[in-house]
Amino acid sequence: MNRLSLPWLLLAPALLATAILVLLPVGETMWLSLHDVILYRPRSRPFVGLANYAWLLTDTDFWESLGHSAVWVIASVGLQFALGFTAALLLNRAFPWRGLARGLVIIPWALPSVIIGMMWSWMLDFNLGLFNALGMRLGLLDAPIAWLAQPGTAMAAVILAVVWQGFPFFAVTLLAGLQAIPKEQYEAAAIDGAGTVSSFRHVTLPGLAPVIATALLLRMIWVANSLDLILVMTGGGPGTATQTLPLYAFLKAWSGADFGHGSALAVVLALLLLGVVITYAARAER
Amino acid sequence: MKRRHLLATALAAAPLALAHAQKKTTIRWWYHFDDPQATPQALVTAFEAANPDITVQAENIPWGGGADYDNRLYAAIIAGNAPDTAMVKFNNQPRLIEMEALAPIDNFVDSWAARTDISDDLWKLHRAPDGHRYYLPVQYVVLYLYCRQDWFAKAGLKLPVTMDDFTAAAVALTGADRWGFGLRGGAGGHDHWASLVLGNGATLTKGGLTSPAALAANRAFIGLFTDKKAYPPSAPNDGFVQTINNMKAGRTAMTIHHIGSANDMQAALGDAITAVPVPRGSTGGWATFGDGSSAILAQSKNREAAWKWISFLSTGANNVAFNKLSGQVTVTTSGGRDWAMQPKRFLDATTASLPMAKILPPSAQTADFTRTVWPQTTQKALLGQVTPDAMMAGFEKLYFG
Amino acid sequence: MKTVRRILGTDLPVALIVLFALLPWVWMLLTSVRPEAELTQSPLRLVPNTISLANHIALLERTSFAENLRDSLVVAVGAVALGLLLAMPAAYAFARLKFRGQRWLKTGFLMINMFPVVLLILPIFVLLRELGLLDTYFALIAGHATFTMPFAIWLLTAYVAAIPAELDEAAMIDGATRVQLFVKVLLPLVLPGVVAVGIYLFIASWNEYLFALMLAGRNVRTVTVALQIFIGENEIHWGLLTAAGSLVALPAVALFLFAQRHLAAGLTGGAVKG
Repeated sequence: MNRLSLPWLLLAPALLATAILVLLPVGETMWLSLHDVILYRPRSRPFVGLANYAWLLTDTDFWESLGHSAVWVIASVGLQFALGFTAALLLNRAFPWRGLARGLVIIPWALPSVIIGMMWSWMLDFNLGLFNALGMRLGLLDAPIAWLAQPGTAMAAVILAVVWQGFPFFAVTLLAGLQAIPKEQYEAAAIDGAGTVSSFRHVTLPGLAPVIATALLLRMIWVANSLDLILVMTGGGPGTATQTLPLYAFLKAWSGADFGHGSALAVVLALLLLGVVITYAARAER
Repeated sequence: MKRRHLLATALAAAPLALAHAQKKTTIRWWYHFDDPQATPQALVTAFEAANPDITVQAENIPWGGGADYDNRLYAAIIAGNAPDTAMVKFNNQPRLIEMEALAPIDNFVDSWAARTDISDDLWKLHRAPDGHRYYLPVQYVVLYLYCRQDWFAKAGLKLPVTMDDFTAAAVALTGADRWGFGLRGGAGGHDHWASLVLGNGATLTKGGLTSPAALAANRAFIGLFTDKKAYPPSAPNDGFVQTINNMKAGRTAMTIHHIGSANDMQAALGDAITAVPVPRGSTGGWATFGDGSSAILAQSKNREAAWKWISFLSTGANNVAFNKLSGQVTVTTSGGRDWAMQPKRFLDATTASLPMAKILPPSAQTADFTRTVWPQTTQKALLGQVTPDAMMAGFEKLYFG
Repeated sequence: MKTVRRILGTDLPVALIVLFALLPWVWMLLTSVRPEAELTQSPLRLVPNTISLANHIALLERTSFAENLRDSLVVAVGAVALGLLLAMPAAYAFARLKFRGQRWLKTGFLMINMFPVVLLILPIFVLLRELGLLDTYFALIAGHATFTMPFAIWLLTAYVAAIPAELDEAAMIDGATRVQLFVKVLLPLVLPGVVAVGIYLFIASWNEYLFALMLAGRNVRTVTVALQIFIGENEIHWGLLTAAGSLVALPAVALFLFAQRHLAAGLTGGAVKG
C-alpha cells in the first residue's frame, strides 16, 4: 500500500499547483476557442464549434507565422545550444580566471527581456546605433543598414538577441552536467589511451546526453512560446516579417480583442509542441 | 505610499479618530505619467486635505505602448476588480462603452461649476457617440509639424502650409545622410498617415478610403519612401523614439509630433527648430488630437467620490499642476492663459492646429487598427510587399466590411 | 609551452565569449553614465565625454526602484523555495520509484509550458481575484514556481537518475529511512543540479514581466514592471532605464558567483563514491 501511494504523495504538491494554475486556465482557453469571444462583448459568446479552427486553416497570416516560428525556434535554439555548449566545455577547463568568467557569462541571462530588447534595438539603431557606427569605422559597412526595417535582417536581429539572452542557460545547465560526470571515467579512458577527441566522444557526450536532451527539449518549448523580445524589438514587423505564432495569438486576442481566434491559435501551437514532445518521448523510449 | 496607507489605517483605529467616527471612502485611481520621477502625491495630499472623508490610492500603471495599460484595465474589468477611476484614451472608448464598463458622468458635469473653464471644442470631442458623457478632459495635445527652419531658410523654402509645399520640401531637403521627413512607420505612426492621407483626400466613410482622391494621396504618401527616398531607410520600424532622435541628431528636416517633446527639441537644436500646423490637403487637413481623459468605471461603488477627485484634477490650477507632471497641455482656459511650460512658438503651433484637430472614428475597430492593422499593412506597402492601393483596400475592409 | 597552449585553446576563446556576453551590458553601462544629450549626437561617440552617476542616484533616490528591488528579491527567493519544494519530491518519484503512467505523467508536466502564457493570464487573473490573492507576494511566487516546474522537475530527475542506484540500496541496507536517504545521501550528490535549478528558478522569476504586471502592481511591484515605467508614451528615459538595467543583472550574477562553489562540489562528491 505504502509503496503504491508514495509516488502520488510525492507528486501531489506539483500536481495540485498544476491543476489550479495551469489546467483550469488551459481548459478555459480551450473552451473559449470553441466560441466567438469578443472581449468587449461579454454578454454574447455564441458557441461556434470548430469554426475558429476552420478559419485558421484558410488564414494566410497563420501559415506565415507558423513558418516564422519554425525559423525562430530552430535557429535560436540551435545557436544558443552551440554557443552554450562551447562555453560550458571551455568553462569546465582549468584556467586562472575561471570563477570570474563563469559569473560574467551569465549576465545576458540575468537581464529582463524588456531591457534586452531595448538595448539591442538601440545598438541596431539606424542612425545612432553601435553596430552601424562600428561597422562604418572598421570599414565593414559602406553605408548604415536599417537592420530592423528589412524583413531578412529583422529576423536575424531578433534571433541574435534571443541567442545572446539564452546561451548562458545552456552554458550553466551543461556545465552542471559536465561536473556530474565522475572523474574516474576520464581517468579510465586515459588509461585506455583515449585522446581528447576520443574521451569527448566516449565519456563526455554519453554522460551529458540526458542533460542535453532535456535542456534542448525544454528550451525549444520555451523559445517557441516566447514573444517578449520580438514584441519589444519589431512588434512582429516590418509588415509581418517577424510575427511568430504566439505573437500572432497575442495580438489577435488582446489588440484585436478576439479571444476566440486567439485561443484557437494558442491551442494549435500547444498541439504542435505536444506533437514534437511525443515524438521525442517515443524516440527516447527506444 | 504604502506607508501612508498603513498610517491612515493606524489613525483610523486610534480611539480619538473613533470618537469622531467618520466614514472614510477609499478610491482607486490608475494613471500613467511619462516621467517616472513625477508623482501626483502633492495633488493627492491637497485633495485629501480638502476632502477629509476620501482617500485616493494612486497606482502608476506601465504604459507598454498602450497595450500593457489597456490589457490590464480590460482584465481588471472582466474580473470585477476595476479601479474606481482611471486615465483613458479615446481609442478605447467604444469598446469600454460596449462592455458597459463606464459610468456616465452627464449629471456630474451638468452641475459642475468649473465646466465653463473647459472650451466647447474640447467638450464636443469628448462626447460619446451615444450622446452621453463618459470622459472628462484632463490633458491634451494636438499633433503639429516640426521643421528645421535653418535648413528651410538655407534652401530658400518657406515653411509648409499646403500638402504641395510639404511634398516639395520633403524632396528638396533630402540629401546625403539626411531625409526630408522622419516617418513613424512603427506602431503609433497612424497619426502621421492620418495627417498626410486623411487630410489630403481620403475620408473615413464607406468608400472614402478607396476613392480616386484617397488612393492618390496614399500613393503619394508611400511614394515619398519608395520613389523619392525622402524618409530614412529605417522608417518602417521607427517608433516615436527613433523619429524624435533622428530629428535631434540632425538627420531629418521634418517630423510630426506634439508639444510633449518640445523642450527636448529646444534643448538639442535651439532656434533651429520650430513647429507649424500639419500641412493642409484637399480634405482640409488633419491634425490628430491627442487626448487624455478621466473616466469613472461602472463597477465603482464610490462614483461621487471618484467624480470629486477627477473634477479636482480638471480644475484650474490643479490641472496646470497635473499637466506639469504629464508633460502635456492644460484643458482649462484659465490655466492656458499664462502657460509657460514650453517655448511659445510650440504652444502657438498647437493652438493654431485646434481648428483641424480630429480623431479616428469612435468604432470598436480603431484600437485594432492603430495597434496592429495600420503598422503591419503600411510596413508591407513601404517594403513593396503590397501595393498602396491594396493597403487602402485593407483599411476599408477593416472599417466597413 | 603548456601555458601558451592553454591561453590559445582556452583563455582566448573564453575571452571572446565573455566579450560577446558583456558587450551589450557594457554599452548599457556606458549609456547610463553619459549625459543624455550625447545619446542623440551623430556621429556616435564610443567613449563618453563626461561620466556621471546622476542617473543611478536619481534612480535610487527619486524613483521607487529600491523598493522594487526588494519586492523582486522576495518574489524570486520565494519562487526558488517553493519551486524546489514542488519539484524535488516529484523528481525523486520519477527517478527512483516505479509506478503506472510514470513516463506519461512526466511528459505531461511539459504541457505547463506549451501554452502561450499571454492567453492564460486572463483566466489566472480571474481565478486569483476569486481567491483574493491579487497583488500579493504569494500570487507571483506561486505563478513563477508553477510555470518553471517542467524545467525543475525534468532536470532534477535527470540529475537524480545519474546517481547510481546502488548507493540508495547500500544506504537502505544500513537501515536509513527514505527521508534520511534523500537528505543524507542523495541531496549532497545532486547539489550541483539543485544549485543549477535554483539559479534557473531565481533568474526566471527575477526576469518575469507578464505575471508581475497583471497579478500585482500596487503592494507588490517588481523591477521588471518598474523598468517598464521608464518607457513612456512619448518619452523613453534612457538614463534611468540603462542605469536600472546595468544594476538589475547584478543580484543574479552575485548569486551565481556565490553558488558556483557548490556547482563544483559535485566533482568531489562524485569522486568519493564512483
